[in-house]
Amino acid sequence: MHDVWVAGAAMTRIGRRSEPLTDLMAEAAHAALRGAGLEGPDAIVVATMNPEEFLGDGNFASHVATHLGFAGVPALRVETATSSGAAAFYAGFALVAAGLRRAVLVVGGEKMTHLPTPKVSELIGRSIDPYERRYGATMPALAGLVTRALLARHAVTPREMAQVAVKNHAHGAKNPLAHFRQPLTVDEVLESRMVADPLRLLHCCPISDGAAAVVLAADRARVRVAGIGQGTDTLAVRHRRELTSFPATQDAARAAYAMAGFGPERVEVAELHDAFAPFELIALEDTGLVPPGKAGRATLDGETALGGRLPVNPSGGLKARGHPLAATGLAQLVECVWQLTGEAAGRQVGARVALAHSIGGLATSNWVTLLEAA
Amino acid sequence: MIQAIAASRCPTCALTVAPPAHFCPRHPVEMAPAAVAGVGEIVSFTTLHSPPEGFRAPLHIALVELEGGARFVCHGAETRGLRVGARVAIEAVDDVYYFAHLGALDRARLFWRRAGHAGDRVNAIARSLAQRVWKGSSGAER
Repeated sequence: MHDVWVAGAAMTRIGRRSEPLTDLMAEAAHAALRGAGLEGPDAIVVATMNPEEFLGDGNFASHVATHLGFAGVPALRVETATSSGAAAFYAGFALVAAGLRRAVLVVGGEKMTHLPTPKVSELIGRSIDPYERRYGATMPALAGLVTRALLARHAVTPREMAQVAVKNHAHGAKNPLAHFRQPLTVDEVLESRMVADPLRLLHCCPISDGAAAVVLAADRARVRVAGIGQGTDTLAVRHRRELTSFPATQDAARAAYAMAGFGPERVEVAELHDAFAPFELIALEDTGLVPPGKAGRATLDGETALGGRLPVNPSGGLKARGHPLAATGLAQLVECVWQLTGEAAGRQVGARVALAHSIGGLATSNWVTLLEAA
Repeated sequence: MIQAIAASRCPTCALTVAPPAHFCPRHPVEMAPAAVAGVGEIVSFTTLHSPPEGFRAPLHIALVELEGGARFVCHGAETRGLRVGARVAIEAVDDVYYFAHLGALDRARLFWRRAGHAGDRVNAIARSLAQRVWKGSSGAER
């Protein structure tokens, strides 16, 4: 297997965007290529979760390649629900690692804010098991079940969950590309509107537009892909024995650490999939970054805040940076690259190893990626 | 009344799922038909205040561990006072399954009603319910 390097990384501002998705993807892709010093890639991997429904457009890899001015470059699309960006990164990684390509552009994005919120929830919810959907299950509903089970076994407290959102908003305030840049208080979170009891509005990530891109290359660059792993689980939540941790994350982390040849002790900054605040606490433990049962305490103690032992979601996370579905897995990796190369102005951690964690569906297709500064 | 709920069981790992599935989610083998009693324990529950199209708020959704081992997703009329671990009965109304909280009185009534019927299976269910009633009176109201 060849070494794979991240030669360029870029993303758009996340939020409510009026531009078409293809323009957002072009902005990120062209910037990533400029950063890599390349005129064009050997291949393109496109990540979008559901352009057919969100936009009415299909054949999206060709659509994007043509729009970017690379109609002659081989392009394919990868989809694993909300972790599509991380899955596309894996596909690009595999092409370079196998020696099939020398420079692959991986670009992901989603455009959602032009649709009414109930429609967006319904479209995202189509990644849920059809029987569970017939009972009204949406992503917040299933996350509400997970959260209730966590609280019932005293694995987390309401204050710990709220602190995740407060911390990530504080980080987002330092990120000019974040969807939300205003701080939040614990009381605001605890008093926000109930969405899926016990989950409240301010525990949940927003609906956002945006795009992110990286160039993966065989030639040495400043950041190396040290390890990457996928973990999967049953589509139906009712077919699982475990509700309060995600085996798909644990399996992905195990595979990534095995490929990297090191464990969580070397990770100095992490981007975790906090679509719902308690998910960051679950991910901290599932990835081994924090011992079992300690994620809430570590969060309250400021260990995972900028300036703490292990800053988590310095970008603001899904909660504050925003969650344009297929852009998210790549936006996390872009943040990790910037943290490793000293380009995260205003929120710079100073790390040699970064971890990104992405959840697809309700933890049915999860990814853990480890990046290392050269 | 306790309803039987259609399920299926994996011949390889014994995983039981409801409603029945063609193949086991974890093994590429055909599942065998099975039936489980519509009583169980609340694993978790939520109330949706902005439910998807076609549902009215508030929408109560529960995940219930049935006695036969399958986990089941259903609706409920109310979740006030409900706790994780509570005993519930599952009933179908127009092909849609609902849970109902079983208080000590409900459980005793169920026991006496079922105990009057003949049949080993029914008696077995009654015996198990009686055990639960006994356990419930000593420790359920924690």
